[in-house]
Amino acid sequence: MMFKKILKKDRMKKLILIIVIFWATSNLLSAQEDLKQQVDELTNIVDSLENITKPGKSKFLLRGYGHAGLEITDDQSTFVGGSFNPIFIYKQSDKLLFESELEFVLENRQVEVGFEYANISYLLTKSVTIRLGKMLLPFGIYVDRMHPAWINKLSSNPLGVGHGGILPSSDIGIELRGGAYLGNSKINYSAYVINGPRLNEGDDEPEEAGQLHFDNFPDNNNNKMIGGRLGFLPLSNSSLEIGFSGMYGKVGARDTEYSDVAASLYAIDLSFVQSLNFMSSVLDVKAQYSGVNVDQANYLDTEDTLNTGATYTFDNTSTTYFIQAAIRPALLNNKFFRNLEFAARYSELNTPEGSLWDTKLNQWELGLNYWLDWRTVFKFTYRITQGEAGHDEGGESPVGNAFLFHWAIGF
Amino acid sequence: MKKLVIVNSIVAFSIIAIITFFSNCATSNIAANKSGAQLWGENCVRCHNTPSPETFSDVEWDVAVMHMRVRANLTDNEAKKIAEFLKTAN
Repeated sequence: MMFKKILKKDRMKKLILIIVIFWATSNLLSAQEDLKQQVDELTNIVDSLENITKPGKSKFLLRGYGHAGLEITDDQSTFVGGSFNPIFIYKQSDKLLFESELEFVLENRQVEVGFEYANISYLLTKSVTIRLGKMLLPFGIYVDRMHPAWINKLSSNPLGVGHGGILPSSDIGIELRGGAYLGNSKINYSAYVINGPRLNEGDDEPEEAGQLHFDNFPDNNNNKMIGGRLGFLPLSNSSLEIGFSGMYGKVGARDTEYSDVAASLYAIDLSFVQSLNFMSSVLDVKAQYSGVNVDQANYLDTEDTLNTGATYTFDNTSTTYFIQAAIRPALLNNKFFRNLEFAARYSELNTPEGSLWDTKLNQWELGLNYWLDWRTVFKFTYRITQGEAGHDEGGESPVGNAFLFHWAIGF
Repeated sequence: MKKLVIVNSIVAFSIIAIITFFSNCATSNIAANKSGAQLWGENCVRCHNTPSPETFSDVEWDVAVMHMRVRANLTDNEAKKIAEFLKTAN
């Protein structure tokens, strides 16, 4: 009897155990099913997010720079609005890129809008890119690489560049460019065909007769200007670059007495950037020497009122150069001192003797910069300009001393 | 004018041929083994301060590096290595 009771008890226990196991298993399976469902739902959400954020081949980037400041000269002390330069970059595909830069400048109480460049670049091969449109010309290195306010180490341009200058900046045409290795050395090149500058014959502006105007006029003589630059980087760390630039073409208007007047321009440039560990600093040296030769021609002498129709001529050769050095103790541990930079630049401009824009100027610019980050800088520059300017731009003489304080930001 | 177009075309094709030839020549081991970080440090500083990788997102770096490849005349290999480094380090 007892045995039967014990046996009955065991059976009950087994039954309860079986029921419990069955119950637990069914719950576990159910929970697992729920979990699987949740995982599936989460996976679907992640997949849908990936489809939204997955980048395509076409991409757009808005960049640019701006600057403004205070300028104190012998004649005036004024805040200057500087400029705002948005740069639009659109990557259509892995081969095709579009870029454009506008410039908004406050001048003479008006906003002047400048169209700096707009072009497309197609990566033809690994070392050849074809570029079409309006482009910054790789003539020397200043205009092509150094002119943005947050890259220029001083608050103004060297003589020969910009207003009152003789160097080309941009033009419309077609260009091949690229770079390649030669063993441990590198070369880079550019070859282009553009509309070219136009000779000022003196009809409207007799004081500028014989000057070249680089204002992107339509071609005035069906004779395109050809040009190019070859750069050589002999050291394996690319710290030194030497470049040679040239341009040639006719600049006089067709069907005029100046139709055969041609111009040739040349430039030699140097760039050397090197860390100096013994000084915990980075040294940056840039230099460029440029020459402009325009064929001799006769211009109407408007100053000779006694002899109507009298003409004059001169050897139309101009030269300009600059040499610049900057040093920054960027390898120091001290955050303040490693953001300081000392910069100095000397430049000269010589335009033809005998012309009404005969100029002989030299300029020193001494600067102390403070970098807030890699593309934001406060620049304190003291500028000394000496010599004679035969043609004052807007009635303002470039001769004199000036203190310039500018901020510049790249974005 | 026609002669100028022909001459310019010949010059252009010659440049492409010469550059393509040189680019296919064996690059030295030093140049070929340069890392993206090294190329970033050597090339960017030639014109401006070296940009921090954190400046842009991956998508933005793709555009910026292509823009700089054209402007700085970087080779295809240099641009790819620099872009990969910046996207890894940002």
